[in-house]
Amino acid sequence: MAYQAELAAQCDELVTAVTNIPENHKHRNIYREFVLRSLREHSFLRTNQFEVADRLKGLEERFRVVGRDALADAFRQRLDALEPHWNHTSPDVLHFILELADQPAQKSKLTD
Amino acid sequence: MADRTEKQQAAQQAVDILHEISTILNCHLDRRTLSICISMIENGVNPEALAAVVTELRKEGQQQQHESAAAAARRQR
Repeated sequence: MAYQAELAAQCDELVTAVTNIPENHKHRNIYREFVLRSLREHSFLRTNQFEVADRLKGLEERFRVVGRDALADAFRQRLDALEPHWNHTSPDVLHFILELADQPAQKSKLTD
Repeated sequence: MADRTEKQQAAQQAVDILHEISTILNCHLDRRTLSICISMIENGVNPEALAAVVTELRKEGQQQQHESAAAAARRQR
């Protein structure tokens, strides 16, 4: 029960953070229910940590292939810095980030 | 107490690094959203399902903004 309540609160926070829809908005509950249902009832597999590691390595190589060595270095530096903080959820978090990556080799700017 | 502060600092550092990685990968995630998502993943939420939800919420948020802007423009006329 506590888990469900915590998840509901986090879903609410997520809706606010992503959509900027105010808490008193008429469609607010619909969004929260959509998030809760989507997270409970899905058909995605569990994260494969080896696949995540391959995708990260592949991205670094891709940055170098397209001549974005500075971006590849910055990426490698952050991955190395993450190692001391590595825990059992790190592959899942990186999987999440990889799913939201938007053509980084073409669009990413180091100045960001 | 000191041990707890150290753990909090380490967690903050990890979030900072993950946020930098998300910026390098052009994920369009601010630090707050990423922190919420990390907490959800730590509580057992599937990362791929969460990414799909974030993508869908972004679309809905944009649509709501367009509707609000259109309504405001109609009121001004």
